[in-house]
Amino acid sequence: MASNQESNRPQNTRAIMTFLREHAPFSSMDDAHLAHFAEHASLRFYADGDVVLSPDEGIVKRFYVVKQGRIRGERHNEKEDRTETTFEISRGECFPLAAMIGERPTRTLHRADGDTFCLSIEQDAFITLFSESDPFRDFCLRGVSSLLDQVNQRIQSGAMASIGSSNSLDTPLERYALRNPIVCSPDLPVRKAVARMHENNVGSIIITDDNRHPTGIFTLRDLRTMIAEEKGPLDTPVRQVMTPDPCRLPAHADAFEAAMLMAEHHFAHLCVVDDEQRLIGVVSERDLFALQRVDLVNLARTIGTATHLRTLVSLRSDVSRLVDAMLAHGADSGQVVKIITTLNDVTVRRVLELNIQKNDPGIPFTWLTFGSEGRQEQTLLTDQDNGILFRTPEGMTEDQVREKLLPFAQTVNKELAECGFTLCKGNIMASNPKLCLSDREWDDWFIRFIDASTPQNLVYSSIFLDMRAVFGPTEPLHELLEKVLARIRKNALFQKMLAGNAFQRKPPLTMFRNFRYLNDEKKHALDLKRQGLAPFVEAVRVFALANGVETANTLERMEELAKKGVFDPKDANAWKEAYSLIQAIRMRAHQEMLDRGEELTNYIDPDDLNPLDRRILRESFRQAQRLQQKLEVTYQL
Amino acid sequence: MLDYIKQWLERRRAGHIGDHDRDNLPSPKAAGDQLLSNSRLIVLDLETTGLNAAKDEVIAIGAVAISGGVIHLDDQFDLILRRPELDISETVLIHGIGPEALTQGHETEDALLYLLEWMNGDPVLAYHSAFDQKFLEKTLKSVLGYTQPHLWIDVADLLPAFFPDAKPGGKGLDHWADCFGLEVSERHHAAADALVTAELTLVALNKAGKDDVKTLKDLNDKLRYHRRLQNMHRF
Repeated sequence: MASNQESNRPQNTRAIMTFLREHAPFSSMDDAHLAHFAEHASLRFYADGDVVLSPDEGIVKRFYVVKQGRIRGERHNEKEDRTETTFEISRGECFPLAAMIGERPTRTLHRADGDTFCLSIEQDAFITLFSESDPFRDFCLRGVSSLLDQVNQRIQSGAMASIGSSNSLDTPLERYALRNPIVCSPDLPVRKAVARMHENNVGSIIITDDNRHPTGIFTLRDLRTMIAEEKGPLDTPVRQVMTPDPCRLPAHADAFEAAMLMAEHHFAHLCVVDDEQRLIGVVSERDLFALQRVDLVNLARTIGTATHLRTLVSLRSDVSRLVDAMLAHGADSGQVVKIITTLNDVTVRRVLELNIQKNDPGIPFTWLTFGSEGRQEQTLLTDQDNGILFRTPEGMTEDQVREKLLPFAQTVNKELAECGFTLCKGNIMASNPKLCLSDREWDDWFIRFIDASTPQNLVYSSIFLDMRAVFGPTEPLHELLEKVLARIRKNALFQKMLAGNAFQRKPPLTMFRNFRYLNDEKKHALDLKRQGLAPFVEAVRVFALANGVETANTLERMEELAKKGVFDPKDANAWKEAYSLIQAIRMRAHQEMLDRGEELTNYIDPDDLNPLDRRILRESFRQAQRLQQKLEVTYQL
Repeated sequence: MLDYIKQWLERRRAGHIGDHDRDNLPSPKAAGDQLLSNSRLIVLDLETTGLNAAKDEVIAIGAVAISGGVIHLDDQFDLILRRPELDISETVLIHGIGPEALTQGHETEDALLYLLEWMNGDPVLAYHSAFDQKFLEKTLKSVLGYTQPHLWIDVADLLPAFFPDAKPGGKGLDHWADCFGLEVSERHHAAADALVTAELTLVALNKAGKDDVKTLKDLNDKLRYHRRLQNMHRF
């Protein structure tokens, strides 16, 4: 019957339905609704530059789909008195959504960008579809953001297949937290506390004061240690054996924050408190991950307590498995790179600790990481960029300190390589005498670096200006950074050189907004890291350094810049989203390469992507162009 | 309009004879001062059993209407005629209309009456229109005895007249479609060819508006002038 009906439709109706089916939301709509659209559609042509829809035309009465060509949205920027392209609508995309739903005029001038054909339906056909088709209504109501959702959903479902659960890490903690946690007063003997835990079948008990503020936590693990190490009889008041001052988070924090905190500190329970710091619940690692079988905390703990290098090496494959699981559980790409970085940090720390145990150089130091690790933006493909910052002990020269630290650093670099952190080809490693420096030497180094803006220095800027402490005291680095940032703020020339350098890295779009491929040899390859992410990273770095933003993470830098009013909040959001989406597509590609047993690269062929991802990628690159325009205007490049 | 076609098709299936007012068939309109932006134009494509209008026959008619510079897809025509007696062996590979389709097609007389009513005397555009004009006029005359001449406009003339600098790879419909990046959903399907021809017409009408060609008469004059220019170049 269906096929019979199909063949009774005029050829041109069928052809339009076929066209629609390739695009969201039509791809998930019923044939009857697609036919309704096709039969009520009209087809219009707009030559390059023709106005398609204008704010002056009053309430919008038609709903359009681009059949061929492209529409660009124009808004007048009053501050700079020029016209800006705010968005692009390409083949298969719909407009205007918000104005149509809101029954108001459009706020943006829609203009044809090249010769363009649009299908459109009148308001009554739109209303019919809106009221009868659920996918269509959902799409319209959620607007463009649903496109992004779809990409995220696909990223998740790809990795989901092996696990099968959809609890999102964005879930507020209060939903996970156990209400009415088991509590006791500090003076209760351990025996009674354990009995209370046993009765309630829980693994922990919170010790609170009279105001219900948590003062300590006692877990089964503490009990085990207490008995094994014979710390005292079971009549001991619990306050003597509890872990004081337990970690706490407010109820509105999300599961991701809790997981990160647990992974960083290796504990399995967190107190959930209200605004007055009163205990309202407990959330355990098991609560967070039992359903998901994502063992972030356990993995971090295993890495953090491994006693041999070979254990650390073998745990690296678990990290990859975990990333897969994280993607499956709704962690966005920003979350996942942070998890990878956290686990990498734990590994680096453990390698350092094991080496200190074996062969302590005897001098306190701060282990620095640079570049993507410094920005907390590592993916599975990573190499080491690190250095050492020390304060010269009295009575020693800096070279004497280096004599002790360098052999140590050499072993650490070698062992990190065994753990999967590729040795840095440019020798940007702590074992390099030029990167194992005292606070005074680093400061001198940066003075020369900023004053002598040589081309090599500009290449280094992407490494050394994204810096973070992974191990050891953080105060020396903070002091160093304050001086460096102050110097850069004062040095307009250096800023301009940095900006000029960042501006060189063009997003891979041609004048016609097609993908610009890497080179003739790699005809269909895009380098998502160098061509896709780097334009964001580099441009954002310039703004961050020029405005005294100390953090190295690109997303956090953008947030800070929005808070400081340097970026328009809407722009900052669009750029964060675009950056994250490129990162997500890159990470998914990495997981797929791992599955196929291939070596990891940052190359993808956009033809391998589905149309939606291709569109998203193109729009994300366009956002990078907008960010560069801002750079261009700010620094008059 | 599409609902009208549906009703008509249903009546046909139920065995009714079409209800047509044969004495009051619409008269063709002349190229006068009507504004292009207000006119209804028919864009038509025929599939035939061969290229010789003297012996070959029409087997499918596809057409869309342009009103006010817009193609309204609820105003279109897409029919295969019922002509089981025809030999289609020469062309079946081109248009894909086989003997079975021809037996299930629509009663020719009824379909042509309906076409005339639907065209409503409006100007007819086609790509290499001389071909379609010869076939349609011959068929209308032999089946219905209808001889009133419609105003025909050749889209193959329209495009070079408005885009003298365009360099299509040749003079065919496909060349111009490629030139403007158009896709044909199913080439040599009358209705699909008619739609792509109509899309090209929209492109030309857009340009016409900017070149101050406002009325049907302006358009006709411009084409006549263009043809004369072409003929002069030939000598």
